[in-house]
Amino acid sequence: MSVPDYMQSAEDHQTVLVVVQPVGIVPEDQFFKIYKRIATVSQVSIRDSQRLLYIRYRHHYLPENNEWGDFQTHRKVVGLIAITTCGSAKEWSQTAERFHGQKEVYSSTLYDSRLLVFGLQGEIAEQQRTDVAFYPSFEDCSDVEKRVEDFVESIFIVLESKRLDRATDKSGDKIPLLCVPFEKKDFVGLDTDSRHYKKRCQGRMRKHVGDLCLQAGMLQDALVHYHMSVELLRGVNDFLWLGAALEGLCSASVIFHYPGGTAGKAPGRKLSMSQAADAGKRHRPGAQEVLIDPGALTANGISADTSTEIGRAKNCLSPEDIIEKYKEAISYYGKYKNAGVIELEACVKAVRVLAIQKRAREASDFLQNAVYINLGQLSEEEKIQRYSILSELYELIGFHRKSAFFKRVAAMQCVAPTIPEPGWRACYKLLLETLPGYSLSLDPKDFSKGTHRGWAAVQMRLLHELVYASRRMGNPGLSVRHLSFLLQTMLDFLSDQEKKEVTQSLENYTSKCPGGMEVITLPDGLKLPPVPFTKLPIPQWPICLCSGLVSRYYNTRSGGCDFILYFQWVQGDVCEVQLMVYNPMPYELRVENMGLLTSGVEFESLPAALSLPAESGLYPVTLVGAPRTAGNITVNGYHTSVFGVTSDCLLEGLPAVKTTGCLVEVIPSLPRLQLSTSLPRSVHPPQPMSKEELSSTVSVQLFNGETQQLTITLENIGSEDIETLELTSKIVTSKQSVSLLLHKVQNFYVRLKKEFASIYSFIQFLPNGISVTGLPISSPLRQVLKPRPENKPVSSEPGKAEYSHIKTLEAVLNFKYSGGAGKVEGYYRELSLGVHVDVEPSVFFTRVSTLPATSTRQCYLLLDIFNPTEHELTVCAKNNQDLVLHASECQR
Amino acid sequence: MAVCIAVIAKENYPLYIRSVPTQNKLKFHYTVHTSLDVVEEKVSTVGKSLGDQRELYLGLLYPTEDYKVYGYVTNSKVKFVIVVDSSNTSLRDNEIRSMFRKLHNSFTDVMCNPFHNPGDPIQSKAFDGIVSGMMVQTG
Repeated sequence: MSVPDYMQSAEDHQTVLVVVQPVGIVPEDQFFKIYKRIATVSQVSIRDSQRLLYIRYRHHYLPENNEWGDFQTHRKVVGLIAITTCGSAKEWSQTAERFHGQKEVYSSTLYDSRLLVFGLQGEIAEQQRTDVAFYPSFEDCSDVEKRVEDFVESIFIVLESKRLDRATDKSGDKIPLLCVPFEKKDFVGLDTDSRHYKKRCQGRMRKHVGDLCLQAGMLQDALVHYHMSVELLRGVNDFLWLGAALEGLCSASVIFHYPGGTAGKAPGRKLSMSQAADAGKRHRPGAQEVLIDPGALTANGISADTSTEIGRAKNCLSPEDIIEKYKEAISYYGKYKNAGVIELEACVKAVRVLAIQKRAREASDFLQNAVYINLGQLSEEEKIQRYSILSELYELIGFHRKSAFFKRVAAMQCVAPTIPEPGWRACYKLLLETLPGYSLSLDPKDFSKGTHRGWAAVQMRLLHELVYASRRMGNPGLSVRHLSFLLQTMLDFLSDQEKKEVTQSLENYTSKCPGGMEVITLPDGLKLPPVPFTKLPIPQWPICLCSGLVSRYYNTRSGGCDFILYFQWVQGDVCEVQLMVYNPMPYELRVENMGLLTSGVEFESLPAALSLPAESGLYPVTLVGAPRTAGNITVNGYHTSVFGVTSDCLLEGLPAVKTTGCLVEVIPSLPRLQLSTSLPRSVHPPQPMSKEELSSTVSVQLFNGETQQLTITLENIGSEDIETLELTSKIVTSKQSVSLLLHKVQNFYVRLKKEFASIYSFIQFLPNGISVTGLPISSPLRQVLKPRPENKPVSSEPGKAEYSHIKTLEAVLNFKYSGGAGKVEGYYRELSLGVHVDVEPSVFFTRVSTLPATSTRQCYLLLDIFNPTEHELTVCAKNNQDLVLHASECQR
Repeated sequence: MAVCIAVIAKENYPLYIRSVPTQNKLKFHYTVHTSLDVVEEKVSTVGKSLGDQRELYLGLLYPTEDYKVYGYVTNSKVKFVIVVDSSNTSLRDNEIRSMFRKLHNSFTDVMCNPFHNPGDPIQSKAFDGIVSGMMVQTG
């Protein structure tokens, strides 16, 4: 006996074993269909008595195990149901032969047998035989259950007769010694007449009778017999059988205490569960009746000789005693190496009982013991089975972690290197089952709440194994998903080396099967949600939303514009969102296809690729796109493609970003102007203005009185025509506004060419004014306005200079324009140009002195005049004396 | 003498786990992790019967082939687990108890640190020192 039946439970002791087997060629599905129907007859109420017979069906049973039938009668095959197909009468004799052959296998223990023949019609099928039933087909066999019930009743008759036969054996008769297979040779040549030997025979026989009573539904009698057997066997130190008697006692007590059964979870019994519970209820009152009224037993025609020996009520063990006795029994079994299977099964049974009693700790002791039971050489399959069952039992007693541990061991056993055909599929399935035990869910959402708290080392190991198993299963999609999950959730716990390895293998996998955002559904219904890489790179709040590249726009109807918080996007225009990200990896991270995820209006995302240096600091990323229609748009997140895995990262799932999305209004399309000037752009913006407001700034350096022409080219780069254009200008006052100088726009005109969609404008500056070192004298004011007839808007620009060697003038030119659909809605855009003019004096009076003149009331004023310019300069005095100064010349 | 010392938070995630460097770290993770089953079971049964007057020391959680696992649960349900080598037979129950008490005191000190955020992994050097002391000292 080498193969343990892990599904056994204490109440199996009261069942009789019936083997259902196919004979000849029987289609498997048909066989199991019939088998299931037979198996529904799991208990039969025996006529004329209140007893119930429980039947355990097996479609496969080792004859080797059958040999232990004397030891525990529920291991004995007492019934055989053979199922066969038979096409014609010719085959019949052959079939009958086979049936007999099958019977031979279990002949030593068989009480009765039946043959169910399918497909045979005609003469033979019409003959009435008790042991053979004929059915025309697998579909047409309505009375199978009835047949089985009859069969069970006939088994009961044999059982009952055996029981009575054994029970009434008088001690004067020679009692045969029952023994287990490995004992047989030990008793050769033993003195069969010694008292010791006789007692042993008696004890064993009592135990056997107890078993039979239990099977025959006479619980109280069984208890009595077991008690007597324990007494007898204890006296002769027959430990193996003493153990069996104790276990029998336990089983009977368990059946009494827990009529609902202890193996509710065992798959084989599921089918009849409701019936079993039902049967339990029916059984219980019967048992109590026996307790109350001892006469009932005799009334039922059952021998009363044993029942008088010990008082009934105390026969049954208390729940605590059951465990004590199980312990004792197991310790006795432990003395025999060959009884390993019995010991293991007893452990399993005890654990099931303890699970019902909710004594998990003691149950774990039993399981711990079961782990160490050595069954000799186990095949790999048996090992897997053993570990799985251990895991199941741990689960039963609420030790989820331990259960997960053993399940994982079982999974690893499935793919042990010694197995020629590793079962990766089974391994993977088992591994998945361990996830709850390690409190690991495969939904990345569960990991988004702050730092991960859990057994990272263990969980990582499990994830690695999942990845490996799924790869060996030939499902790269799965391994990519698991690997992504590992990378995303365990990033903080991976060492640099591990990060590198994980990403490398991820890249390998994705080259074969790119990772996506779809939910992977496993065959058993488990759904693997997508894993967006929200940590590669890690985005940081704030996410700054920017508007169009060149121009801003305001809604005229909405009045005052808040530049920072209130803005709109324009249909058809490229919009941008800036995101600060950083790369947590110890190497360069390539992010491809990074774009915006939006909902609302149609949006065309223009993906970008970027490369982040190793462990970068915050790194700004600009994501661009263009809304295609007007309306409201919500920016929900962004999508990336890292290591070949595309992920959609929603803002709401990001711990660092405390928003679920940004709502932006998209207005109808507007034209767009691009501004360029003939002068170089200045680097420094005018001070009081924020840079935000100016699209560009030019700077120019001028001498007093110098004229410079500035050409401003406005080009309509949008798709809409410009219908209106308005120009305004604004002077930026500086800190030193003490002196005011004139600065004028001498010449300014704009030509609008619709057909080329471009605008030209010219601005000329003529800074005017004289300044004298040390003492400012005057600031003449002139203003010239020369609008050209063909131009539409013209504006003057008064300038000012300031008191200094170099005076700075700053002005802003504002272009307000609109067109297309946006104009209808009342939107316009503004474009502003900052003008920065440094005005330098063209004449320096370097020295002032006086000379006495001819008259005492007059004097000559001597001025040393310096010309710093590169041009000729004429200085005019009141008396019309003109003085010509050449470049960089100093004259008096 | 101790081969692995672990502190586990109320919610059963590790706050601190250290094992002797000579052996497989993962193995101890598994050992400690599965020992939590027993701890939980013990706490749930003891808690019912004794109420407040609970013994913090849980005793031997379970013996494995190579190690013995001892448990200790504070009143705030923080668990300490000490794994010792089975071959070390000289170690008495009392010594284990005193180890746990020392560990508990040191843990209290860590919690008193105003800069420590309860629930975060323990990074205290002082605590580390105490643990190291327990792991090296012999007999």
